[in-house]
Amino acid sequence: MAHYSDPPLLVLASLANGPKHGHAMIEDIAQLCGARLGPGTLYGAIGRLEQQGWIEPLEPEERRRPYRITAVGRRVLRAKLTVLHQFSKAGLGRLKAI
Amino acid sequence: MNVKLAHLLLRLYPRRWRARYGAELADMLVGGQSDLRTIANVAWSAMHEHWNPTPGLAMDNDGIASRFESWCVKAPWAMFVVAPMFLLAASYSIACLILWSGWNMFLPGTNTPFVRIDGLAGAYFGIGRLLYFGAPLLIGWVVGIVATRQRIKAVWPAVGLALLALFAATAQVQANRPANGAGQVSMTLAQSVASFPASLSHATVIFLVCALPALIWRLSRVRRA
Repeated sequence: MAHYSDPPLLVLASLANGPKHGHAMIEDIAQLCGARLGPGTLYGAIGRLEQQGWIEPLEPEERRRPYRITAVGRRVLRAKLTVLHQFSKAGLGRLKAI
Repeated sequence: MNVKLAHLLLRLYPRRWRARYGAELADMLVGGQSDLRTIANVAWSAMHEHWNPTPGLAMDNDGIASRFESWCVKAPWAMFVVAPMFLLAASYSIACLILWSGWNMFLPGTNTPFVRIDGLAGAYFGIGRLLYFGAPLLIGWVVGIVATRQRIKAVWPAVGLALLALFAATAQVQANRPANGAGQVSMTLAQSVASFPASLSHATVIFLVCALPALIWRLSRVRRA
């Protein structure tokens, strides 16, 4: 079974319940949907999300820098998840009808 | 992961990206696994960052893609005429080299390399044939698609494609073996006057096939707009 993989969305979803650093995000995302992001993919997504203003860095803890989702990021995540929810609901409804 | 390997992988990233995220990624790599999948993931992400840089971290001329785009605008004659011709000449040279080396390796006693042959030798000659016949089309498609993608005026790409098609239609490979000598492979463009109409129609077909994907793309873009 294929894992859902949209790295920026997965990072946003991971940060939705509180700030996390890279290691914690990878573990959290693996638990969330079974997809284990590679370090390059994760930091590619973090870079783009930060530049878009959807996440922001916090002060480093030891050598690790946590990130948190911004208010804009939260709105984007809600919108994306709503679309996905409607899509999955419609798709499952069609399957039931068969 | 080994610290040296982690730093080596980081060197693959653009300087600005490394300055911002390098330390964090290095920390993650050093604390994590060093399996092939991780190495490939980081290397691929670094290459991707060159081609498609993170917007806020890219200078105007940072990234291979941006530099390529800027050259397409600054010197379209070089990018759409000179470079494709150079690439075609290089492809034909390699194809001739394959033909010549295959002839000497697999058919040392024959007077011509253009004979039916199977097995490994057939596959070897097949690579040369594929390069010879495929290169003009592949280069032409790239020229058309890049020009369309970057919304370059059609003049230089059209000139490039026309020259490419003419070159491909009139090029001829000749192979001969002098008495008691090694086989020689050469390439000529000269055609007799009698064969001119055939070459011209051949060139027109190559031109149209090369331009077709770009043409379809342009039309679909116009329709969408």
